[in-house]
Amino acid sequence: MKKTLFALLVTAAWPAAAQDAYVVGVSAAMTGPGAATYAPVVEAMKAYLEHVNSSGGVNGKPVRLIVQDDGAEPSKAAANAKKLLSQDNVVMLINTSLSSTYAPMVAEAKRANVPLYFGGSVCPKETYPPADALQFCSSAFGANLDSQGALGFIKSQAKEPTRIGFAAMAIPIARAEIDYAEGLSKTMGMTPVEKQISPPPAPDYTPFATKLKDANPNWVFSWSPWVSQVRTFEALRRLGWNGRYITWAHLNAEDELARIKDAEFYVIGTNALFQDNLPIQAEIRAVAHRAKLDYPVTYLTEGFIAGLVVESVLRNTPWPPTPQKVLAAMNHLKVDLKGLRGGPLEWTKDNHFRTRQYYRVWHWDNATNSIARVQDWRAIDVKR
Amino acid sequence: MQLAVNIAVLAAIYALISCGYVLIYRVSRVLSLAHGELMMLGAYGLAATASLFSGHPLVAIAASAALALLIGVLVYVVLMWRMTGESVLAAVLATIALGILLRGAMTLVFGMQTRYPLQELGWTNISIAVGGSARISVAGLVLLVGTAAVYGGLFVFLRASRWGIRMRAAGQNPLLAAQRGIRLHGIYALAWGLATFTGGMAGMLIACDAGVESTLVTIGLKSFPAALVGGLDSLLGALVGAWIVASAEVLMINYVDSLLSDVVPFFVLLAMLVVRPWGLFGTREELDRV
Repeated sequence: MKKTLFALLVTAAWPAAAQDAYVVGVSAAMTGPGAATYAPVVEAMKAYLEHVNSSGGVNGKPVRLIVQDDGAEPSKAAANAKKLLSQDNVVMLINTSLSSTYAPMVAEAKRANVPLYFGGSVCPKETYPPADALQFCSSAFGANLDSQGALGFIKSQAKEPTRIGFAAMAIPIARAEIDYAEGLSKTMGMTPVEKQISPPPAPDYTPFATKLKDANPNWVFSWSPWVSQVRTFEALRRLGWNGRYITWAHLNAEDELARIKDAEFYVIGTNALFQDNLPIQAEIRAVAHRAKLDYPVTYLTEGFIAGLVVESVLRNTPWPPTPQKVLAAMNHLKVDLKGLRGGPLEWTKDNHFRTRQYYRVWHWDNATNSIARVQDWRAIDVKR
Repeated sequence: MQLAVNIAVLAAIYALISCGYVLIYRVSRVLSLAHGELMMLGAYGLAATASLFSGHPLVAIAASAALALLIGVLVYVVLMWRMTGESVLAAVLATIALGILLRGAMTLVFGMQTRYPLQELGWTNISIAVGGSARISVAGLVLLVGTAAVYGGLFVFLRASRWGIRMRAAGQNPLLAAQRGIRLHGIYALAWGLATFTGGMAGMLIACDAGVESTLVTIGLKSFPAALVGGLDSLLGALVGAWIVASAEVLMINYVDSLLSDVVPFFVLLAMLVVRPWGLFGTREELDRV
């Protein structure tokens, strides 16, 4: 964090030099609400691209990543986008921030006809097929698909009729998703019994959990920022509820599973956990160590994936780069994620999200005293 | 029964936080808008001392409580002292600036990750049965007992101790108090120390229940309606205001819509401002000074 803030100061003072590098601009929530989710993504992406630069760059040219903090504020995101486009002449914009910052950045990107890539922030619907011409996304979250994945898992596990409760934070994207999940559960033969929306943040989650518990669900699904997901669960447990809870695997899921140690607390996600010990994860460890990142290495997968995507896009962009050349590269992209996800990330002219989304589910196994995988990669095709 | 327990715990959180707003306002007429940040600093202080004195939880708790008290005194000595004689607005703006500074400093020092001080202390937040069907977490119970102890202690301190009586005198008429030989700066520093101690205590207990991260500061702001509803210069008012706001919030979650729980404290506040702007137990003349 300290390094990034320093870097922000340095890059802010950097004059718009002649373009001797691939210049990419990022507006990110490095401070403010949501920074715990977004700052590690940017730090990891920066570290990966610095690693690429130290290995000779992309097509023999360095990648210059200019990071501007928007504090999760739409007005700052708009100002950042303007500055990055008009002063820094970036060939690609990246958003790693709250969904409230999307609209002003999209407007600026459209005005300048520069591609906008959501790396680490929730993928907007416009990246799904039929995709908006300028918006792309690689983030693990996938609205609607995540609910399909989670409820599909519940259905596969349920041995008795499912009475399902829902919990979400009172932010638009989480509420929309949990409303979708509620509707979906009915079509899957489940009985939705209660839905609790808690403010960001609540001093005590017990009143929300009490209402949920009183409805007597045997499963609860939550899709929100981690704080809301986990505190609702912990409040439910303290109230004596002994049902099963499934929630989204945010960056900190691996550490949190080990902290909570509850066999009936499940997380569903699309990024591999570090317990897999993949060769690419060893590389992430090495890069994080070299860059002296403050975050646990388990938080860095999403940012590393964003780095891999940026590298692949630029590798397919002939020198000298222009936003149009970058856009052409993004419209036909296939990135080998080396096991960090269930398959490659593929963008087409029509689909700027991915052609297939793969889900795994984990929980804490008391017998082995470790995290255990309860569902291996399950693919969902992303169609119109 | 569970409903009553939920109201009691939430009211205790609000009461413990709003106690700090009232103490500072009552004594020095300054509305501290850095109270949420000072509360969060208390929570991070516990996380820091818990890892520093690993294996000695009581030492860690005592150290973080002493640290909160000291920080409050330092805030007065370093910053608020200079505001003496300036307009109230200048002092309030100074607390806003202090809050922004503290927030930034905490982000730099403690990072963005959630910390769990209770885990670092080596304790677990189990829940215990209350009555027939209700349950309360140990952190919630300690919060209830702690709030009762703080308010009881302050009542005795303000009524029976020499410093407490001086503090009340300084709050009622600072000029006369000064003429009678009461050292106002010492009294104000003590008020800031006590307010930061109680706010820090609230932060520590919330952190023990749910961890500490940067959004904790918002909870400090959420308890502000409780202080205003009760009356900004009344400790009894803070207690009653906290109970009213917490009841409205919990009942709204339980019987109407959880989405409205965030709005209802401010709705109660607006209603109070329309009917009785100085709050339930506040002093009418004080209103002009806010």
